[in-house]
Amino acid sequence: MGAASAARDLRFLDPAILSRLGTMELKARTVVEGFLSGLHRSPYKGFSVEFAEYRQYLPGDDLSTLDWKVYARTDRYYVKKYEEETNLECHLLLDQSASMAYRGTAPMSKLEYGSVLAGSLAFLMHRQRDATGLIAFDEQIRFRLPAASRPGHLHALLLALERLQAGQRSDVARPLHQLAEALLKRSLVVLISDLLDDPEPVIKGLKHLRFRGTDVVVFQVLDPDELTFPFRGASKFKDLETAQEVVADPARARTAYLRELTGLTLQYDRELRGAGIDYVQLDTSQPLDFALLTYLSARSKRK
Amino acid sequence: MSFLYPLFLLGALAVAIPIVLHLLRRDVAPDVPFTAVRLLRKSPVDRSRRRRLRDLLLLAARVTALVLLAAAFARPYSPRADAAAAGLRIVAVDRSFSMAAPGRFAAALDLARSAIGEAGFAERIAVIAFDERAEVVALPGGAADARAAVSTLAPGHGATRYAAVIEKATELASGGPATLVVVSDLQRAGWDGEIRAQAPVSLTIDVRNAGMPTVNLAVADLRTDKAGVVVAVRNGSASARQGTVTLAHNGATVGRAPFNAEAESSVDVTVPWKVAASGSISATIEDPDGFPSDNTRHLVLTRAGTPTVMVVQSGEASGFFLLRALDAAGGSFEAKAVTGPEIAGGRAHEISTQAAVILLSTRNLDRAARDAIVGFVRTGGGLFIAAAPEVEPGVIAAMFGWDVAGFTVDPAPRQVSMATTDVRHPLFRPFGGLAANLGQINFHQTWRVRPDQWHVPAQFSDGSPAVLDRSEGAGRVVLFASDVDRRWNDFPLHPAFVPFAVEAVRYLSTRRDATQDILVSRVPTGLVPAPGVQTLPDGRPVAVNVDLRESSTAVLAPAEFAAAVERVAPLAEAPRDAIKAEQTEARQNLWQYGLMLMLVALAAESFAGRP
Repeated sequence: MGAASAARDLRFLDPAILSRLGTMELKARTVVEGFLSGLHRSPYKGFSVEFAEYRQYLPGDDLSTLDWKVYARTDRYYVKKYEEETNLECHLLLDQSASMAYRGTAPMSKLEYGSVLAGSLAFLMHRQRDATGLIAFDEQIRFRLPAASRPGHLHALLLALERLQAGQRSDVARPLHQLAEALLKRSLVVLISDLLDDPEPVIKGLKHLRFRGTDVVVFQVLDPDELTFPFRGASKFKDLETAQEVVADPARARTAYLRELTGLTLQYDRELRGAGIDYVQLDTSQPLDFALLTYLSARSKRK
Repeated sequence: MSFLYPLFLLGALAVAIPIVLHLLRRDVAPDVPFTAVRLLRKSPVDRSRRRRLRDLLLLAARVTALVLLAAAFARPYSPRADAAAAGLRIVAVDRSFSMAAPGRFAAALDLARSAIGEAGFAERIAVIAFDERAEVVALPGGAADARAAVSTLAPGHGATRYAAVIEKATELASGGPATLVVVSDLQRAGWDGEIRAQAPVSLTIDVRNAGMPTVNLAVADLRTDKAGVVVAVRNGSASARQGTVTLAHNGATVGRAPFNAEAESSVDVTVPWKVAASGSISATIEDPDGFPSDNTRHLVLTRAGTPTVMVVQSGEASGFFLLRALDAAGGSFEAKAVTGPEIAGGRAHEISTQAAVILLSTRNLDRAARDAIVGFVRTGGGLFIAAAPEVEPGVIAAMFGWDVAGFTVDPAPRQVSMATTDVRHPLFRPFGGLAANLGQINFHQTWRVRPDQWHVPAQFSDGSPAVLDRSEGAGRVVLFASDVDRRWNDFPLHPAFVPFAVEAVRYLSTRRDATQDILVSRVPTGLVPAPGVQTLPDGRPVAVNVDLRESSTAVLAPAEFAAAVERVAPLAEAPRDAIKAEQTEARQNLWQYGLMLMLVALAAESFAGRP
């Protein structure tokens, strides 16, 4: 695939393009298919161990997939094709608190971006026949769709994502603990949140999940405004969840704010990575491919 | 701290504007919905404090700038600082020509320097040099400036006038306490002819004697005569003096004559010489111990010789007494009587050569003669009109275009006398105290003249004008409202008639544009205020001589000097304080510092207001 073609495909991962698309299913399909077309020679292809068929070797195929036993028997080159497993149970935890509704200069709000991300992951999982569930929460669980892999499940999940509205204050730790207690088998939990709460309870909840043997991937979704604090002029900053007000001159407050944000990020990174949890910070103005790659990486580790 | 214009301080109320804006705009920061306020809240509190501090600094700078601006307009000053410098010492040095006597001016300068040295701490010192004029050569300031100014002084050619220095010192003191130190040779003549000087009681006068003059010879007068040049030498010394008068014509010596002058007297010395028709002469004497400036006198010779006066008469109005009176002037005038017919028919051209014209009759005066008289007056000549029965008021009024209604003749006899109303008028000045004798003259008929546009130096006892004087073109007209031929009065028989007639003709014959002898103190701009023959801007030569009053050796005692000054109360307190405050403020100029500080405050505001 040429560079021009790759660029054309990646274009469909751009949030600005995605925001104009209609249904969540269309968005998710666009993201996943655009993403997969860019993974033509990706090493992530074929993580499943279930054999599917033999196929005659063609130049360009990975030599590691050659079945040397067949070659010994038939003196012909065949490569093995695998079908991915269907026994993975994945839970998507999407933060729908009021802060997730924030949209600064990015084309999508954090909730929209997180929804598209969740939908894309669900779509990808569905293609791999994994069971996918959805939990949407703010300070409590507002919506729950149990994990399943039947054909109509994806549609229900995407429909639920499309109908999500921003809620109240967030309490990320609470659904984490509830989910940790509810999970009976090893699963993959994907948390999509801006994680602007007090980090300690969040980390504790995530470690709880990890303690129960669950693989956890954390996507911290942040608006570019939250990452760069580009405001100008003295302003009264009002919290979307707590209604707290702070009057500050951004020119003077920017450095301290960014220092605090970096400290928060480093704390999550340090604590979660130490607990074997993948932590990825996402910018809502950036394409979703990085998030999907992170997911696949976590998926492969679970093998 | 006080303010010259305190009402401007109301402008400081404008500080309310930034304060109100500060209060109103304190919370105008727009609401911005945000998510990570928790992170923002951890540190921006300090930032907000800094911002508030910065706002306060900005507010303070703006308020300070406005207050300073209002204060600068209110012109602040410190009365206390002025009180420290309240003392003023004025050192006045006489620089009249009498101070040029040997060693006298050096002594005066020493006295002036010692007077400066006596100044107290913080006492300001001013220096005045005076003769007829008082000139401030060092404004109130330090002793160094005063000494420097004193060292530049030199005696001039003027005459001492104490009133001038008293007036100038009063002006400098401006009602405040001051000491005037007068360093002079204390000539009594310094008060001659002066209105008594007035000085406030707050002005202390300290007289320092630089050495009284005791000997002096002066050339008091210089005139031509048939026999030569008559030189009057005045001896102001206490003993007789001898010497030689040297006469020079256009700078070349043409004759000498010895003189012997008794003590305190004058002597006329005739230097034989055939008087030239033009040029200038000077008479010089040797007087090494006296005043140098009055040792020489100058005179410009004119071709005209003795001035002639035309008396226009008729049969009844013969002008007999007037002609005799002019003859008594000692040859100063050559009077010529003519009748109307004699200058009629175009023969009036002779009028233009006269020094003055006396009109005693208008009978048979044709238009050409009238026009000639009017032209003569308007080109600078002098006309004397006596209100004789032969003079028609209507003719006079028509000649000059005056309102004929302003002249009427008494319909019936009456008894009045005459009194001067302006003793300083040149016509009556020589009379001095004798002018009162004019009241003994009996008048029984006069003209009644409406004094519009006339100056009235004398009037009759019923208030109607007796002597009237007015300008007409470049010349002058004097109207005597009664007869001079003893028909309407007995004036011609009175002793005052001769000087009256002579002074009137002398006054009228002195053409203002023909001055040939002026005093040093009255030289016009452009000429050097020093004795000698100089040239006027119109090319005419003029003899500049010193004021002979300064040649006098009569002196005053310091106590007499002080007694000659009339003490008056200082100006009313309020105006004096106001003047003092203005001067104090002008000296301190605090408003300039206020404006500079305001600029500093604005600069600080700009600096603090940077984002």
